[in-house]
Amino acid sequence: MEEIIEVKNLSKTYKKRKSKETITAVNDISFTVNKGEIVGLLGPNGAGKSTTIKLICGLLIPDSGSVMVNGISMKEKRLSALSHISAVLEGNRNLYWRLTVRENLEYFSGNRGRSSKDVASEIEDLLDAFNLKEKETELVNRLSRGMQQKLAIAVSLLADSKVILLDEPTLGIDVQTGYEIRKILRDVVRDYDRTIIISSHDMGVIQELCDRTVIINNGKVVTDDKVENLLRLFEVRAYTITLGNALSNQQIQLLHQKFPHLDYSHHSLESTLTVNLTKAEEFYDLFEVLKLEHTPVESIDRQLINFEEVFLKIVNGRLHNELDQSS
Amino acid sequence: MSWINLLKINIKKEIVMMKRYLPNTIAMLLTMYFLFLAMFAGIQIIGDPSSQDVHTQFVIVNYIFWSLSLIVVQDIGWQITTEAAQGTLEQLSMSPMGVWKIMLMRLIATVLANIIIIIVLLYLSMLTTGQWLNIDVITLVPIFVLTLISMFGLGYIIAGISIVLKQIQSFLQILQFVLAGLVFIPLTVAPFLAFFPIVKGVDLVRGIMIDGLSWHSINIIDYSILIFNAAFYFILGLFFFLYCERVAMKKGLLAHY
Ligand SMILES: Nc1ncnc2c1ncn2[C@@H]1O[C@H](COP(=O)(O)OP(=O)(O)OP(=O)(O)O)[C@@H](O)[C@H]1O
Ligand SMILES: [Mg+2]
Repeated sequence: MEEIIEVKNLSKTYKKRKSKETITAVNDISFTVNKGEIVGLLGPNGAGKSTTIKLICGLLIPDSGSVMVNGISMKEKRLSALSHISAVLEGNRNLYWRLTVRENLEYFSGNRGRSSKDVASEIEDLLDAFNLKEKETELVNRLSRGMQQKLAIAVSLLADSKVILLDEPTLGIDVQTGYEIRKILRDVVRDYDRTIIISSHDMGVIQELCDRTVIINNGKVVTDDKVENLLRLFEVRAYTITLGNALSNQQIQLLHQKFPHLDYSHHSLESTLTVNLTKAEEFYDLFEVLKLEHTPVESIDRQLINFEEVFLKIVNGRLHNELDQSS
Repeated sequence: MSWINLLKINIKKEIVMMKRYLPNTIAMLLTMYFLFLAMFAGIQIIGDPSSQDVHTQFVIVNYIFWSLSLIVVQDIGWQITTEAAQGTLEQLSMSPMGVWKIMLMRLIATVLANIIIIIVLLYLSMLTTGQWLNIDVITLVPIFVLTLISMFGLGYIIAGISIVLKQIQSFLQILQFVLAGLVFIPLTVAPFLAFFPIVKGVDLVRGIMIDGLSWHSINIIDYSILIFNAAFYFILGLFFFLYCERVAMKKGLLAHY
């Protein structure tokens, strides 16, 4: 697969104006993105997502490390590297509010050096695709937040760049528009042959759109894997076992010795065991204990963990070691 | 080719904004005109009657240049400050053309769009005072263009400062007086000012419009100083701007929010 973005050992610190203390926003981050991929950049507030995006876009000069875009060094040939990149940055600050929808499209593409004739038909297509045709002569300050965001994405598409970076594209946007934006993004990758990097808190967005996700926390890459792998990792190991009888005290004791994190609950109607297994053989250990009292097993359910939980666990570092072992 | 696209789109935006905010545009023209009337009245009241006509002509030329330099130099400062606050500066900074080219095209676009206002103002003031100046286009245009180029250099310097500093309002106000000084102080009073931006150009324009100099009566040294100033201040301004841009990219200042 062809590599289109290579981020290598990037670090960036900010100096606070008054206190002069330094904040390390990005700390030795490396990852790559292949052509045609949609990669998620996930992390809690202040993790360094926006800083990473701005470093890739050449809006910030790193303290150390490098960014290569389509084989071109951002440091040495910034402008030609930029010709392959466009971005929608955080919030609703990417547009001229006193220009109309169409004027924004024309103005930004003109400022990238594109001729108005070349972009004319593309503008029509985009207005259609984004459902903005009726609003083309409306001033941006009269548009809803969702429409502004759609327009900002349309502007970034019109830049004719191979890579598009989107910083929190669905933040502060209603459910319906969020859904529309996700659909558009999927179409974009399919029809326009672009590579997309999305930063988000919204697990739904990442889970639905991204092939792969880079999770960052405190300016460092915590994990970089396919979304499905991350999910599988946790799904496979968490089980809820429903029992026909209550366990004896001896059984409970034995189980706790073997599985320190085991959860046992006993109600009048049913008893359940929730357990995380790291190896398949542990099943046998578990059943050995159940066998002691011939405890009937009514069902075994693989617990479905959603991406959000996976993310929180990774960020909190609880399952750090397990992740390292598996990779 | 992409340069032309850049210029076209920036002229278009300038004109769209002028039309969209037509009341503002007219108010600006009127303000400038009334300020001129005040100066004219001042000359009538306190000036020496024997030299009043020359004084009036002097003021017309200076006033026109001051207005133009204010429009060009201040406008670029305001634009950068507001765009840094609104976030569009970051979008422009991602253009593969480079912000400095976009800024240059904006400076040119501002001049082209405002030249109409300036001409209206010129004729309005000539009409009001009954002082008709010598408008020798062939001699004026090259001198005017060279003077503009040094003015663009100043524009770049202001643009650079605006990127790095968040608060430039007070600075821009002081700038008005600096520009007024450069335009109004005659070279005979302070000959060293010839090497400052704009000054030599305005001095020659006064020579043409008031004393009726034509291109062949202006000596080669004057032309040389003008060309030197244009090149020097433009390059100085551009390098300063590029330096400020780098500082901003190091410190994360392209967005002031
Ligand atoms: N221009 C700046 N000057 C000083 N500190 C900054 C600047 N920009 C970001 N920071 C700090 O750097 C750290 C990383 O910020 P960044 O915006 O990259 O995080 P983020 O992951 O995008 O967070 P969020 O989810 O809140 O958008 C934070 O501690 C932030 O306060
Ligand atoms: Mg952010």
